[in-house]
Amino acid sequence: MSFFIKRISRRTIVQALIALPALSLFRTLPNADPAHADPHRAGPTPANPNEIVEVNGWILKRSDLA
Amino acid sequence: MIFDSCDAFRAANFAAKVCILGSGPAGTTIARKLGAAGIPVVVLEAGSREFSDESQDFYRGTTVGDFYFDLDVTRLRFMGGSSNHWAGWCRVLDKQDFEPKAWAPDTGWPIRRADIEPFLPEVHDILELPGFRPDVPVSDDIRWVQLIKSPAVRFGEKFADELDKSRNVAVVLNTYATELAGDGKRVTGARLWSNGQDAGAFNADYFIVCTGGLENSRLLLWSNQRSNGGVVPNAAALGRYWMEHPTFEGGNAILADYGEFEVDAVNEAFFSPTPAAMERLQIMNFGIRLIETPYPGVKSLIADLACTAPDMAEWMSAKLSQNLRCAAQLYVAWEQAPLASNRIELSTTDVDHAGVPRIELHWKKSKLEHRTLLEGLRLFGKTLIEKNLGRVRIADWIANGGDYPTNDETAGHHHMGGTRMGTDVTKSVVDANCKVHGMDNLYVGGSSVFCTSGECNPTTTITALACRLGDHLAKVVAV
Repeated sequence: MSFFIKRISRRTIVQALIALPALSLFRTLPNADPAHADPHRAGPTPANPNEIVEVNGWILKRSDLA
Repeated sequence: MIFDSCDAFRAANFAAKVCILGSGPAGTTIARKLGAAGIPVVVLEAGSREFSDESQDFYRGTTVGDFYFDLDVTRLRFMGGSSNHWAGWCRVLDKQDFEPKAWAPDTGWPIRRADIEPFLPEVHDILELPGFRPDVPVSDDIRWVQLIKSPAVRFGEKFADELDKSRNVAVVLNTYATELAGDGKRVTGARLWSNGQDAGAFNADYFIVCTGGLENSRLLLWSNQRSNGGVVPNAAALGRYWMEHPTFEGGNAILADYGEFEVDAVNEAFFSPTPAAMERLQIMNFGIRLIETPYPGVKSLIADLACTAPDMAEWMSAKLSQNLRCAAQLYVAWEQAPLASNRIELSTTDVDHAGVPRIELHWKKSKLEHRTLLEGLRLFGKTLIEKNLGRVRIADWIANGGDYPTNDETAGHHHMGGTRMGTDVTKSVVDANCKVHGMDNLYVGGSSVFCTSGECNPTTTITALACRLGDHLAKVVAV
């Protein structure tokens, strides 16, 4: 830890921590434009209403859920 | 003929060719078959005609591992054996129960279901059963199966008159063999105990051990120890591969229409997996028993569902106002994977009044069985959804991988294995004809010869195997 602190100022560390939550915005950027989306990366698919799910011990169809 | 003591039997000078130990479903059935074939048989019954605490005390023992019933409560020691407290549920093991399961070691029998099917008409007469209906597929995964609630024949009561009048069968009450002696080829005699005291030596040409799924192992283990291996020369599997039918409330179901399934006289229906589903999921056989839930149970179930799926709960609530019979408890009984580590041992510290070591039962359920329980309920739930018949809720302790509750049914009082049938002498005790490997005149009857347990109650299969053994012995002894 001391080695790390010697080379990076405390101000830089604080700025990095503040910026962390915003990283997820950049992570989703490639999918924002379907034309440039990576075809090998599955994006969120619409839920199948007949899919069988287990919630709180109940075996249900997804469409059963509120 | 029925005698109340060994002394009375000896005074009658009845020369028995075959000695059967135990008068439960197996022993009585074999005795009747041999008697009908004109072969003189003596049946030694440890108890009397009625239950007594003194007799039951011989059955006390201990269990190591999972919670199990007291060993002097889970079986009965008087004429008719444990048929005196069975509930009467009947079904023969499934065809696939006799086949090996590639995913479960040490499964598979040396005989097939077809080998006992010719005896089923006799079994139906003995147990007073109507014919079984074929299974009905509900989905690719689940089949409706029939368990017949029979009149629960008490073998001691039903056949007492017939045995008393028989000229070929002598039943000796209050008398049993504390040990058999053998020379590694034949049983050379038995030490008897009658009415609380040693009753000397006894001999017959053949001995058939039918003292129950716990006691068969105990008698043979003790006899073998006393005879330095002369009673069961290949004893590696003796007492091992012991099995039960663990039985627990697995959850609940809400049903669009309870009348959708054929139910029996007590409003229960039974379901099992298809062979394809068992193979696909690599699980054991199981039986789900659907029992109508009392009304307060239905309300709390719907309230629980409302937290997860309000629309579905509202629909169920509407059904509730129309028809109170719309929910069920799901009890699951399943086939245990046969494990050598589940075994009967002789206690090193505790003996009964005759000086015979008591049983120390080592019994533990495996991970495969927990998976069978969980996947079985999932299969049933999926089937209800696919067929639009209802929804299933799995009990929390199963879904979350918790411990088995100790206040549930626990098991079926079905004691199986210990002297299992097989061809490999290191993994079995008797051959396909129930003859002890390496012995010329020693046979075993009852559920202790089961290689696997299937999911259904064992008495029907026990009786069918006993009919088969009776026929076989009639031919062997007559030579």
